[in-house]
Amino acid sequence: MADGPLSGVRIADFTWVWAGPYCTLQLAHMGADVIRIETATRPCVTRMLPPWPEGKPAGLDSSGYYNQYNQGKRSLALNFSKPGALDLAKRLVAKSDVVANNFAHGVMDRLGLGYEELKKIKPDIIMISLSGYGDTGPYKDYVAYGPAQVPLCGLSALTGYIGGPPMHAGYSYADPNAGVHGAFAILAALYHRELTGEGQYMDMSQWECAMAVLPEGIMEYTMNGREPQRIGNRDPYMAPHGIFRCMDRAEKVMGVTVDQFVAIAVSDDAAWRRLAAAIGRPGLGNDPKFATLAARKANEDELESIIEAWSVNQRAPEVARILQEAGVAAFVVADNKYLSEEDEHLKARDYFVNLPHPVVGVKQHCGIPWKMSATPVKVRCAAPTLGQHTNEVLSEVLGLSEAEIATLRASGALE
Amino acid sequence: MADALSRLKVIEIGELVSAPYAAKLMADLGAEVIKLERPGAGDAARRRGPFPAATPHPDKSGLFLYLNANKYGVTLDIAQPEGFELLEALAEQADVLIHNLWPPDMDRVGLSYDRLARRNPRLVMTSITPFGSSGPHRNWRAEELTVWSSGGVCVLNGGGPNHPELPPLKVFGSPAGFQAGAHAAVATMGAVFARLRSGKGQHVDVSGQETLVSQNEMVYEYWPYMKVIATRLGRKPLQPLEAMQCKDGWIFICCVEEHQWRNFVSLMGNPQWAYEEIFADRLKRGENWEALEIFLREWVGEQTVLDLYRKAQERRIPFAPVSTMGDLLASEHLRSRGFFVEIEHPVAGTCKYPGAPIKYGATPWRIRMPAPTLGQHNEEILGGRLGVRPDRMAQLKSKGVI
Repeated sequence: MADGPLSGVRIADFTWVWAGPYCTLQLAHMGADVIRIETATRPCVTRMLPPWPEGKPAGLDSSGYYNQYNQGKRSLALNFSKPGALDLAKRLVAKSDVVANNFAHGVMDRLGLGYEELKKIKPDIIMISLSGYGDTGPYKDYVAYGPAQVPLCGLSALTGYIGGPPMHAGYSYADPNAGVHGAFAILAALYHRELTGEGQYMDMSQWECAMAVLPEGIMEYTMNGREPQRIGNRDPYMAPHGIFRCMDRAEKVMGVTVDQFVAIAVSDDAAWRRLAAAIGRPGLGNDPKFATLAARKANEDELESIIEAWSVNQRAPEVARILQEAGVAAFVVADNKYLSEEDEHLKARDYFVNLPHPVVGVKQHCGIPWKMSATPVKVRCAAPTLGQHTNEVLSEVLGLSEAEIATLRASGALE
Repeated sequence: MADALSRLKVIEIGELVSAPYAAKLMADLGAEVIKLERPGAGDAARRRGPFPAATPHPDKSGLFLYLNANKYGVTLDIAQPEGFELLEALAEQADVLIHNLWPPDMDRVGLSYDRLARRNPRLVMTSITPFGSSGPHRNWRAEELTVWSSGGVCVLNGGGPNHPELPPLKVFGSPAGFQAGAHAAVATMGAVFARLRSGKGQHVDVSGQETLVSQNEMVYEYWPYMKVIATRLGRKPLQPLEAMQCKDGWIFICCVEEHQWRNFVSLMGNPQWAYEEIFADRLKRGENWEALEIFLREWVGEQTVLDLYRKAQERRIPFAPVSTMGDLLASEHLRSRGFFVEIEHPVAGTCKYPGAPIKYGATPWRIRMPAPTLGQHNEEILGGRLGVRPDRMAQLKSKGVI
């Protein structure tokens, strides 16, 4: 197989939790040598969070959360409270192209790994910091957590059922959003460095990065001075546009009944007529109450109850199939089981990854969301156990002898 | 300071969000982006708004203006053979082509990487489609809502375990489009970087669904690891992690670590209820959330948002306001960082836009020109770059090619 597009690029990865590891995951996907610097004295938060493999005890190497976002990376354990560890980190930076971190503002400086310091070691180093609030401004020392970034960025105020309170996104959306933007910034900086020899420091605020993907809300306000209303699953320019109840899953899971839904979006009058025919109500297609977008918006409650009366007696995948065959945009509101076992398309695209992990064995993980024709991208290995590659990195990358490594290990610097 | 991507020439055939956002990320770092739109209608984002005074106008959509600043705008009907020839001529001079044509439309107009690469083997072509360029759902129809629903994230959001009657809830805006676009920009830059060494272009095939499945937090793995289905009805294992109402707005109450809870209890003046056994640790607070919620709602309801935010942050508790758009525009922090930028547009006028997602030390992020009006740069690009003479331009116009 041809090399990945970033083969030969090395990332000294000081990130943790989700945003940072999601950033460097994109680079690992493309063949960069991503070396996570970790410590057992304060392990990555995700190493201590579920899910844990069935029938096996929880442990630092068995979290599905960690194992998802650290595929294809190496792990170097360094305990910065011991002499020698900081020096090893600096020597690794000297052999790296990029340094990434998502600590709170100032932490890398306090560790002795600030940009000014690293620039002395490697003048063309590229460094990115993905902090919650950024490196400047009156709140730069504020603490940020993934779940709180969703309300902070404005997304919660905009999201909610009609007449209801502000809601969440259901996951820490601002984290992967920051991560993928960080990966883009690193690639732009690598490209610039390749052409000019110049490295640079990049300051990302996860808050700002999340607002960069919210122009519809922000510009309603800057153009009209108005706060957008929460409109549930509806859309001003499409109707029907919603999430409709289908039959529950046929089988209980862990003794629990699981409900299922389908998402339907009708973009024009012709699609509405196709939908009306597909649900066995062709007369509704030209009914003046529903024939135009304006009419459907005016009668949207009734419109939605007609569709749900049809969908609720059928399985969600069947509803999606019937509507797609009729030329209507529809999809199961997919849950993890659906994606893992029931989505034939993801299987056909060979999206999932099934690589052996020394502790959890073969567990299915999510793969790379794009394909490249000339420099194929492939997850090379499962996520590392803590410190799995310490010896390998110290000897191969930093050129340490076995005796030097043994001395460091005895001192506790490699924990 | 030199622009990071000023040597890159990008052609965009983009509608709505995904491809336009990928090209915008590059344009804002200095890449030259020529955006091709359908004659007459143009990019569908021109019809989505938000619009000043809620009055639709193709040159005044906030979504369009935001996504397409820094781009040249050319109208071209690539479904007509003469239009496709002009596209091929433009692609011959380009480094990157980013598009989000639906696969059946690609087939219909004959757009494929192999065809364009015959004339320009250095071209990187990125296709952003709802489900990717292969597989049984390749030709399925999709809109923002259905792609979001296909990605395993929509199912996680909603009224929670106490409101099973409420359906899953999409988040506001176009998150599926933006995530597809941002991931596509990453993959495209990877291909551009590889080309520095190989001299060869390639095809990049991005699936919108897969970009979302890739960001299911820890939730996806609950199935392969534990055979648990995760939905909006799951209880939060840790509490408090909820939005609550103050006197003047909403705040997000967030105590993940025990020291954060202890500091919050002290901030509240050490009320006796906080020492009850049922609230002793974060898991117990999760189990007994219904009881805890009553106490917290009462106390939080008497506070004001910014005051509680400041007091919590002084104690290293990661609370955050539930920001309204007005709060964001008024934020002293964002103002001091210069996040929002003002852009003057010849038709839409002047207003503030979201600014740089990342601040670069050595290469600028900057707005060089506002979004194009429909066909604004036809003369400059088709005439100036491709040498199409005025009489042929008139002919193309009358045939509806431009």
